[in-house]
Amino acid sequence: MTDPQANPTMSQPAMITAPQGEKWHRIARTLLRGERPYMLYIAFAILLVVFSLASPFFLSLNNFLNIGRQTTLVSIMAVGMTFIIIARQIDLSVASTLALSGMSAALAMAHIGNHWLVGAVAGIGTGAIVGLINGIVTTRLAIPSFLVTLGSLSAARGLALLVTDTKPVIITDDTYFAVFGEGSLLGIPAPIAWTIAAMIFGILLLHYNIFGRRIYAAGGNPTAALYSGINIKRATTLAFVLTGSLAGLAALVLSARSHAARPDVVQGMELDVIASVILGGCSLFGGRGFILGTLLGSLIIGTLNNGLVLLNVSSPLQLVIKGAIIVAAVAFTRR
Amino acid sequence: MRYVARSQAMLAKALLTTALAAGSIIAFSASSHAEVPASCVKGVDLATLGPTSIIGQGPHGEQAASPDVLKLTDEEAAKVKAGHFKVGISMQTVNLDWSQLQVAGITDTLNKYGVTVTGVASAEYQVDKQIADIENTIQQHPDGIISIPVDFTATAPTYKKVSQAGIKLVFMDSIPTGLQHPQEYAAMISADSQGNGQIAAQILASCIPQGGTIGLVNFGVDYFSTNERTKGVRAWMGKNRPDIKMKQVDFTDPSKVSQIAGDFLTGNPDVQGVYAVWDQPALDTLSSMRAQNIDIPVTTVDLGLQSAIEIAKGGPLKATGSQRPYDQGVAEAMAMMNALIGKETPAWVGVQSLPVVQSNVLESYKTVFKKDPPKELMDACNSAKPACN
Repeated sequence: MTDPQANPTMSQPAMITAPQGEKWHRIARTLLRGERPYMLYIAFAILLVVFSLASPFFLSLNNFLNIGRQTTLVSIMAVGMTFIIIARQIDLSVASTLALSGMSAALAMAHIGNHWLVGAVAGIGTGAIVGLINGIVTTRLAIPSFLVTLGSLSAARGLALLVTDTKPVIITDDTYFAVFGEGSLLGIPAPIAWTIAAMIFGILLLHYNIFGRRIYAAGGNPTAALYSGINIKRATTLAFVLTGSLAGLAALVLSARSHAARPDVVQGMELDVIASVILGGCSLFGGRGFILGTLLGSLIIGTLNNGLVLLNVSSPLQLVIKGAIIVAAVAFTRR
Repeated sequence: MRYVARSQAMLAKALLTTALAAGSIIAFSASSHAEVPASCVKGVDLATLGPTSIIGQGPHGEQAASPDVLKLTDEEAAKVKAGHFKVGISMQTVNLDWSQLQVAGITDTLNKYGVTVTGVASAEYQVDKQIADIENTIQQHPDGIISIPVDFTATAPTYKKVSQAGIKLVFMDSIPTGLQHPQEYAAMISADSQGNGQIAAQILASCIPQGGTIGLVNFGVDYFSTNERTKGVRAWMGKNRPDIKMKQVDFTDPSKVSQIAGDFLTGNPDVQGVYAVWDQPALDTLSSMRAQNIDIPVTTVDLGLQSAIEIAKGGPLKATGSQRPYDQGVAEAMAMMNALIGKETPAWVGVQSLPVVQSNVLESYKTVFKKDPPKELMDACNSAKPACN
């Protein structure tokens, strides 16, 4: 089932030990990874131009901050999903993991200590545990991750609903709201700051670290990777842990923004996350993809959502247009 | 092995560096909001707020009957007890305070009269699941089913099967297309949705200057009770404040309200107040307003713990026209028992709206939830004394 176009050697990250002179070349390669990534930039630019011309409210700093904030959850989770999909796996449980992590963070603050760090550790920790379970079951029991995470999608959501008998948990710590939801860093709203942090972390890990190379190897050609002595199971498990942890981080952002954790939030968001990663140039067959592409994928979908509301397009028509443009964008960037 | 150790060390280093960098650099400052107009809410007399009787009409244009007509005499109560009836419940979801209170009202009342509740099915808003739920309930041969349809049309044939099987049907909130009273269903019980909308409109209008503009964050799916609420807002504004301009944005996916409302406010900077069709969309609108540093009054319909806290704090959420879901549940149980012993039941029973503002939020919470306010609500109210009561 290997994608005939996937070529792991092309997508291999640049060596961190490369000579100094190749620095700019490496950065350029990071930005322009994938088959025809510049098409992705063009697609995004076209969207920006069209919406700027069509709505007087689109082209403003405030609106771009809107888009940034609105895409935060998908973008943060999509960083982890990029690792998963490059490793030729899938994680359908991210949205449920987010819901469970948010409940865990809010409950920890309510019952252990009303401090933002307690919430942060509980939220990210819960996400990591769900990821670890997904990873171990997938790699050790050799069950396809589609089925494993389909199961955890249901189980994590069920647990989230069960812990409070479906009731939301109110959060009252102002520092928590500021750190994850409503504060800002040099004028950048906290949710966007966390997205940028997650992106930088993802880029360092995927493109400038040996772990990233193993992920590409695991997805590009697992047999060869195995014979080269690469522990694919460990790398894959870590990718699931990473994705779960990032779902935990996204949960902190969402609960800080809404001043409460609810067990029924973001149902179906896993599809937006997967769509962003695929739109961003990642191959569903593994071995190919890059973090900046994922960010662009997420921004393209977010910009579409935003622009269509600004243009007062009716809600059902928005869905039709969005679906058509996403498919067109994938076709356009892959041709 | 060296390879693995090196990768783990680097992974740990990268994790630590990113977390530290993100955590330590970020100098957060809470957003500040502008003050809302002083005349807001205070200009409305609570005693005259909201309709004095049911103002809406039923789905088929019926006039509302009062829940009082459903009372049972001692003789009738004895007849119910002797019947050893069984009743099933099919909900759209059980994940809302609203649903849980409805189920509690139904169950408490039925149990009081010796009627057994065979089970509570939750359709999770999925038509196919609700159809399966109802078909499974029919197999248990209950004497009655109390249900809220997820969808008007797709569930209608299944509900017809219920009445064909001789099982009595009582609906909450809306009636599937084509079902006739009293042959195919015994009664429908709902809040006075138009009345609730009127309360939301009346408070919001008090916060809007002459000639101002408001935004309606409306549910874009054709649903009786939400349609009625927004109709109530429009009707009240048209009659009492024709100077106010109304703009509307619709959502079909409730999980996307934060994004849609945020974009709507960006695209319509003239909007000076928002009505949201129920409390969760109102809370999602608040979260996008906080993010954009927008401070304009918001009113809504329905009361939950979080919306009660927001009203208690005296923030942008000014008021809600609340349903009384527990009391609606009681009325549904009473209607069902009337039907089970062969009494005539009205097509539509309306339960009066309850206006909730900062000054009566604690009392209203008790009225709606039938229990004392929790600590979070008490704390929020205490921090806003004396305005909050």
